[in-house]
Amino acid sequence: MMTAPVVETHALGKSFGETPVLRDVNLKLYAGRAAILIGGNGAGKSTLLRILAGLGRPTTGRVTIFGEDSLSLSHQNRRRIGMLSHQSWLYPNLTAGENLEFYATLYGVAHPEAVADRWLDRVGLLSFRRERVRAFSRGMEQRLSLARAVLAQPMLLLLDEPFAALDPDGVAIVGGMVREQVERGCAVVMTAHGPTAVEGLELEAYSVVRGRLAPYGGERRGGRLRSIPGR
Amino acid sequence: MAASSSRGSAVNPSGAKKARGVPALAPWLGVATLALMVASLFMVFEYVPTEAEQGIVQRIFYFHVPCAWVAFAAFGLVAISGAFYLWLGDQIWDDLGYASAEIGMVFCTLVLITGSLWAKPIWGAWWTWDSRLTTTFILWLLYGGYLMLRAMADDTPEVARFGAVVGIVAALDVPVIIVSVRLWRTIHPAVLVTRQGGHGLEDPRMVATLLVATVAFTVMFAWLLMLRFAQLRLRTRMKELRRQLALAEASAGDL
Amino acid sequence: MRAMGAFAAILRKDLRLELRSGQSTVALFALSLLILVVLVFTLSPDPANRAEASAGALWVAMVFAGMLGATRALLAENENGCMRALATSPIDPAMLYAAKLAAAFIFMTVAEGAAVILVVLFFNLEFGPELLRLAPPVVLGTLGFSALATLLAAISGRTRAGDLLLPLLAVPMFVPALIAGVKASAAALSGAELSAMTRWLGVLVAFDVLFVTLGGLLFEHVIGED
Repeated sequence: MMTAPVVETHALGKSFGETPVLRDVNLKLYAGRAAILIGGNGAGKSTLLRILAGLGRPTTGRVTIFGEDSLSLSHQNRRRIGMLSHQSWLYPNLTAGENLEFYATLYGVAHPEAVADRWLDRVGLLSFRRERVRAFSRGMEQRLSLARAVLAQPMLLLLDEPFAALDPDGVAIVGGMVREQVERGCAVVMTAHGPTAVEGLELEAYSVVRGRLAPYGGERRGGRLRSIPGR
Repeated sequence: MAASSSRGSAVNPSGAKKARGVPALAPWLGVATLALMVASLFMVFEYVPTEAEQGIVQRIFYFHVPCAWVAFAAFGLVAISGAFYLWLGDQIWDDLGYASAEIGMVFCTLVLITGSLWAKPIWGAWWTWDSRLTTTFILWLLYGGYLMLRAMADDTPEVARFGAVVGIVAALDVPVIIVSVRLWRTIHPAVLVTRQGGHGLEDPRMVATLLVATVAFTVMFAWLLMLRFAQLRLRTRMKELRRQLALAEASAGDL
Repeated sequence: MRAMGAFAAILRKDLRLELRSGQSTVALFALSLLILVVLVFTLSPDPANRAEASAGALWVAMVFAGMLGATRALLAENENGCMRALATSPIDPAMLYAAKLAAAFIFMTVAEGAAVILVVLFFNLEFGPELLRLAPPVVLGTLGFSALATLLAAISGRTRAGDLLLPLLAVPMFVPALIAGVKASAAALSGAELSAMTRWLGVLVAFDVLFVTLGGLLFEHVIGED
């Protein structure tokens, strides 16, 4: 394939003060592909996602997103990144609908109300349109936050533990949405504590151990995850 | 281990390598400071004629004014290094700005103390809200705020950026402060003092003394700045070495 | 054009949140009330310099209440990490700053309208059209204060010291506007000619232009992360 990768990190290293968090990370991901970073708490997964979102500076090495340096992303390219963080990035005193409409307007999406409705429906929260987010459960907040991340049709989607805190219905909804985004041509990077699979989607799996990235299960297994092991 | 750093990267390993301890020039500046200070003291106490109206106290002027000049220059340097830090992201500029702010604060304090000592016999009060004293006092508060920010926050590139922003904003605020304080004093009912110390250096020996003292204080500032800056550079370098050490230890742990 | 859309969206959202909780304006007003009460007890206003004392009281209330209340809209973004959402969004940091400044300005102006009424009552001034002469200095001072406080609160809100640091940084910087604002307000209340106010209004305008510009230029550096 001759197209440039959506995400490329070159010997990316990150330290907070003296503490190394990421070490020599080389990750490459093309459009229409999904990667999963598997590792325990404090392995550096979230830090990596934040750097990919332009929220942190690499200490060493370089990160290019859509062929641009991640530290100086153009507005156009920043618009094409969607992120689901640990925190929901939702305003507790706004309703579900108002939250989505706000972000749709911020991202310059046409017809914010219709877009908000469509995504509320997709994450199964349309009946909660007028409820304030403060009253939401963790799982509902997570689904709404995913709707927020995808409503501007991103070409790079960064998902920090998208399946945490979800019930089986929620897992199905979020899994389906991730697959749709990949099929649309979006590149997806997500994190998980353990091996996770998304139905009908081939994942490029990496393990993250103390800030280092390696193909999941070693070279022998080729770092691919297709089905949910042990289920 | 690739250690390429992009432009704008806040931690610049190559910058840290430049730190080589106290520059060879520093002791010479120390010697020059000593010589010039002795010369200024001699001129202030032995050479310059006593000012007719204010008498012997006026001699403090030859230390007061150079201190003010150094404080202003130091705070200006804080703003300039702040701008360079935001532009280039190299820690060297933050080290320079921080060192300059600390030393500027020392001289600003000296301006207030010498001003106060001078004010007591002349104006009959330790403190008056004279426009220059007031402006200096506001400056002292401004950079006190800057140093409080640095003291109360962690030592991260983020806080270095905050310091740069505060340093720039404070310096550009200074002209507005000067204008407003001057207007405030001139319009205020005249409690004060039309006589302004420091004007009417009719004797050329007075000008010469002021000049020598100014040079002496400027050289002293350069000397102190060099020492403090070198120390901060070493600290930066030590942090970078510690970071690399932690990285190496982590890599050794992989095996 | 889209930049204006984002500005409007953020401001509208902040106003909506404020209408729902009222926390900024109520906090601003309540603090102003308390500060004015303290000042009445400590100053024991003398009828001779009533104009100066009441102008001074108004500005003391404005600065210290503003320190705690004006930047609530900015600090509310720290909840659920919303500031990061704004930092990753395609909005220009200068526009974000402008929206936050506008929100702080609106909340403070509303609270000050109420504070002026309190000052008139507490200091036995007259209600009348001459009170409108207070508008230029108060509005210009509020704009400058909002500009300054929005920039500095973004800094202090992210340090360990937090709220303690904001007054340490903001009060010395606000001195020129404070001097000019108090003098112009006193002139307005004592019924002096308009020309007595103009030079002070000039200082206020210069202060506002300086800080709005600097805030817009530098805001990106205080919201960025490492």
